[in-house]
Amino acid sequence: MWYTVLKSSWKQCYLLTVRYWFNMLSGVITLFIIFLMLFMGTKAVGAGAFNLGETLEGLFTGYVVWMVVMMGFQDLAWGVTNEAQTGTLEQLYLSPMGYKWIGVFMQSCNMLLNLVFMAVMVALMALLTGQSIHLDGVSLVPLFVATYLQANGLGFALAGLALIYKRIAAFFQVVQFAVIGLLVIPWNKFPWAKYLPFSMGRHLLQRVMIDGVRLWQLPLSQIAILLLVTVISLGLGLALFALAETKAKTKGLLGQY
Amino acid sequence: MEKVLVSHQQNLDKRAFLTVENLRKAFRDRKQVVEAVKDISFSVARGEMIGLLGPNGAGKTTTIKCVLGLVKPDSGRIEVAGVDCLRRPRDAARHMAAVLEGARNTYWRLTVWENIVFFAGIHGVSKERGKDYFEYLLEVLKLKEKRNVEVRNLSSGFKQKTALACALAKQTPLVFLDEPTLGLDVESSYELREALKELQASEGRTIVVSSHDMRVIQDVCSRVVIVSRGRVVVDRSIPELISLFRSRSYKVILTVNGANGSLSVEEIRRKLESSFPLSSSKATKDTLEIQVSLKQPAEIYDLVEFLRTTGASIETISQEEVDLERAFLEIVRRDNDSCGTQS
Repeated sequence: MWYTVLKSSWKQCYLLTVRYWFNMLSGVITLFIIFLMLFMGTKAVGAGAFNLGETLEGLFTGYVVWMVVMMGFQDLAWGVTNEAQTGTLEQLYLSPMGYKWIGVFMQSCNMLLNLVFMAVMVALMALLTGQSIHLDGVSLVPLFVATYLQANGLGFALAGLALIYKRIAAFFQVVQFAVIGLLVIPWNKFPWAKYLPFSMGRHLLQRVMIDGVRLWQLPLSQIAILLLVTVISLGLGLALFALAETKAKTKGLLGQY
Repeated sequence: MEKVLVSHQQNLDKRAFLTVENLRKAFRDRKQVVEAVKDISFSVARGEMIGLLGPNGAGKTTTIKCVLGLVKPDSGRIEVAGVDCLRRPRDAARHMAAVLEGARNTYWRLTVWENIVFFAGIHGVSKERGKDYFEYLLEVLKLKEKRNVEVRNLSSGFKQKTALACALAKQTPLVFLDEPTLGLDVESSYELREALKELQASEGRTIVVSSHDMRVIQDVCSRVVIVSRGRVVVDRSIPELISLFRSRSYKVILTVNGANGSLSVEEIRRKLESSFPLSSSKATKDTLEIQVSLKQPAEIYDLVEFLRTTGASIETISQEEVDLERAFLEIVRRDNDSCGTQS
């Protein structure tokens, strides 16, 4: 049963990504253009108040992490909204595995696709901007996955809200800015910020990409914080989603849009 | 509603494949409480195809969604294949599939085949295991030529057939079809009904069809459960129900000339309405055509007496042909009348 559901979810995720190729391509181009504008702006006037890092390297890694986080929660939250809108959400709920697991499986497929996409994007961005970065797959992938899972926690929480309120686009935009906030809070001024979601992920990814540090050379305490925040974020997200699911079933909101 | 129509307590068969007992569900918000399901009980035997009927807002869809685990009921018991749906929803889900009203039920950017494989897959039926059966479904539902067409490019009839194929491909013993022919033209509706009958005959699945289209129910179902205002008001086999109403429905044609102290057309109509609330009449120049549904068979004597007192000549008096639609309308009208009387 598990293997069949996983295989079906992955196949469906892949097919829909291919069918909606224009949507994916336009997303890639938009992200790319935004990055180029930020990069050139920063290069021309120096680090401003609203950027993702103090240096060009910081901006580069900050933007990459921001993209990872955005992908990590957008797919899930928009996924529920889209399924409800297209009328397929209730059908997914009829699976003996329940929507939660199908969501997780589809998300894992999205994660793989996004990792490939990120690798291409990062290489392109480095090429165009002349930034030298270390693309050490063995070190980067686990850190990306952990950061991505933290974003999944946020995604599940937002998906839960989407189950109940359906249209959460306005709130969604606020969250996008909040995520930028989480990524740019400086640790030297706010030491507790390292315990916030995405913050440690960003720091460690920066160490690997900019400083060329390997995964096993990173401080164990920082890895532990990353894992702890990942478990808590994902757990909280799933718990909120379960709560929202119960509320949606009690109020008969699953099929409504 | 008369007891003779509500025999669902007797139909709560202990060996039933689906049992719904004393189901209640109210939707609450800050302003109001809507009691969608007040007390619904019925059961369906394995291999039976029943119709779940009711006017808009009667509680049909809420009942189906409670069984499917999409809506959480306030109280009651639901059992499918001996599994308690409320305590073990995931286990119960293995036995059920559905085509839901108002939903697309399929992905429009996937082809017919891809949809079938996906929805069967998330129910644990792999492509390898179900391939032959999927092909058979395409054959029966006349979808073979559309196999590799994206659903968005299909007509409503084919889209509905695809949704049905996706539900059936899960190979569950119990299938719910909520308004399966909604929006279909006559030909597509006929084809879908024929396919359903063929599948039912060859596979013996338990199927619950909810529809406003009485032809569909009369055509494919053996029994009907009629729901009104959140309660079951009828649970009967369709032939039984129709014969019950046939024996109580009469058509009378009177010639009214107003002479020799006989009543005028208007007077007859007025008296008719007060004596037989479930009646209607149509007047032409000299004749009055009356349709009467009696609450009890014995009321025929009251009708004859009424006709005698009008002083009009009886041209013809005949038992009316009744179909499910007519029976349904009478039942709902009576239920609404009894509600009005109670309140």
